Amino acid sequence: MFRRAGHREPFEHCGNVIAPDTEMALLLAKECFLRRQEGHHLWVVARSNIHFFSDESVLELAADKSYRFASAYRDVVGKRERAHDRVKELQAS
Amino acid sequence: MTYDEKLAAFTGRIEGGDKVEAEDWMPDDFRKGVLKFIEMHANSEIMGALPERECLPAAPSLKRKMSLCAKIQDEVGHSQLLYRVAEDLGKSRDAMYQDLITGKSKFHNVFHYPVRHWGDVAIIGWLIDGAALVTQAALLDSSYAPYTRVLKRICSEEQLHLRHGEDITLEMSSGTEKQRAMFQEALDRWWLPIIHFFGPRTVVEKDLLLRWKVKTRTNEDLRQEFLDRYVPKITELGYTFPAPVPFEQDGHWLIADEDIDWQPLDAIKRNEGPETSRRLGARKEMYDTHRWVREALAEPSVRAA
Amino acid sequence: MTDAFVALVTALADDELILGHRHSEWTGYAPHIEEDVAFASIAQDEIGHASSYYALLADGPQEVDALALGRQPDAYRNAVLCERPNADWAFTLARHWLYDHADDFRSQTLEHTSEPKLRQLVTKIRREERYHLLHADYWMKRVAQGPVDARTRIIPAMARAFAEVGGLFEPFDREQEALEEGLLTVDSPTLRDRFTEWASSALDELGLPGDAARATAPSEFVASSSGDLIAGDGAPAEPVAFTSGLGGRRGVHTGDLDELWRAMTTQYRENEGATW
Repeated sequence: MFRRAGHREPFEHCGNVIAPDTEMALLLAKECFLRRQEGHHLWVVARSNIHFFSDESVLELAADKSYRFASAYRDVVGKRERAHDRVKELQAS
Repeated sequence: MTYDEKLAAFTGRIEGGDKVEAEDWMPDDFRKGVLKFIEMHANSEIMGALPERECLPAAPSLKRKMSLCAKIQDEVGHSQLLYRVAEDLGKSRDAMYQDLITGKSKFHNVFHYPVRHWGDVAIIGWLIDGAALVTQAALLDSSYAPYTRVLKRICSEEQLHLRHGEDITLEMSSGTEKQRAMFQEALDRWWLPIIHFFGPRTVVEKDLLLRWKVKTRTNEDLRQEFLDRYVPKITELGYTFPAPVPFEQDGHWLIADEDIDWQPLDAIKRNEGPETSRRLGARKEMYDTHRWVREALAEPSVRAA
Repeated sequence: MTDAFVALVTALADDELILGHRHSEWTGYAPHIEEDVAFASIAQDEIGHASSYYALLADGPQEVDALALGRQPDAYRNAVLCERPNADWAFTLARHWLYDHADDFRSQTLEHTSEPKLRQLVTKIRREERYHLLHADYWMKRVAQGPVDARTRIIPAMARAFAEVGGLFEPFDREQEALEEGLLTVDSPTLRDRFTEWASSALDELGLPGDAARATAPSEFVASSSGDLIAGDGAPAEPVAFTSGLGGRRGVHTGDLDELWRAMTTQYRENEGATW
């Protein structure tokens, strides 16, 4: 069962039910997982339609991927200072 | 990797505070121990629904009728979540349910006792759910991650139940003499079972679940937290305690070991609690007479016409 | 607030309360765990509807409870069908399906009532009832087209429930005044005939005996080689005359209501004046 509340967050997994078909799954899920209006949208998916890597270690980042992260650009303050110093240098000469 | 190597790696992970998921390799005693523990928790939720259900028809106001119905509904929902987690450890829900109703597996002692009137609803909602919250909050840090994830929702709903129970308690306690007498009478019956709920002193060296960090605190530690939190509140409302009577010492509320009569708990462990066989019998009867419902819900649907 | 208004709303409220009480007896005890959760919501909804109806007649929550729990059995105006014990899941389903569809027929007409507060309430209630209808329709289809055991049970259960459905459309106390005041736009016998005609053909479509009152007792059913259930002796019962299950709108109830009333109201009445 997946539910989505409001507009900010995407669908999230909220649990499972035992049911013979999607129609009953929806009817049961409404009361099992949305009776406090935890969502305005509800999806049900048969568990057999959920797939995953048999070895999830393939999802790990084995080598340096710092270029995908903002933390690779932390020294912006120092670099700005150096650039401004260089400008002063060039203007003085 | 050999079994011993896997076991050593697993032990190292647990000791390092790492969490275990359903798909991970686990030693057999870990799998069996966790399954039994979660199964008992699930059993307790579905059996706990019964004493409260027995109080529901007589709810003395429509608001309370709806909110108690909603509370029982939550408990059934908890059993649904917990059986789901237990299933992933290798036992079907139907097998677990059958073991419950035939008396092979266990459920918490407090649900083996009778209910008489609305005072029981107050006690169950406030003190028993209060006790359950103390133990469940401690389990939020369990090493078995799927359990902790459902416990998040369970604990937040139990918080609501606690407020519901306290609300009823406070309303009764500010009410008529008869209402206060009902609460006291219920407390007189429930106090000892609530103490039993935490179990006897934990034998740390022998406690497998503590070693594997599925549980994180000892029984006496949890019981102490409960006593310190609730004894003052009960006292402030002007009620008295039956045995074991708590006394204050060094800022804590204690009970004397020699004041605890463990016999009723021993009887319950033999499935000889006051309501054990009647309540299990009721569930078994429903299960046996409604096989057609399970059949009708089986997939693919069997067509007769 | 006219006498006709009080009579009408009391009956509507009592139907919901008594049936909601019966539904709530399944909470924690239903034959399927997720269904237990779903059906408990339906029970809470009905009790909530009752509470809202009583609130149209009362001055505050204390009076709502006095109406719901403080009257004597002969003051209740619910249909007899609502007070029947649950018996088993089959009867519960049959009654749930019949009641929620009958309620739908009636509340459609009540959306044109002359009394604005009642109109608003009925509109709100109908939104919630959509789920009840989806739920009842799903289950009825599932058991009617399901395994032999399910059909063996639902057919006599539906017959028993259908036999008393006339009580839901028994004329209200002061119905003539209610019609004159525009509170009701359709008289009860007309609504009854419309509903039972619809219900018979709906049941036919589901593969259940259309005129369910023709069904005979369970022991007389025999499974044919095709899986159809046929009456053992081949003789149909009397066609239904809607003479069963009447009296509720006039306060004439069965022993089932006495038993329900004792369970539901004793703690309230023994502590009258107390707040809970």
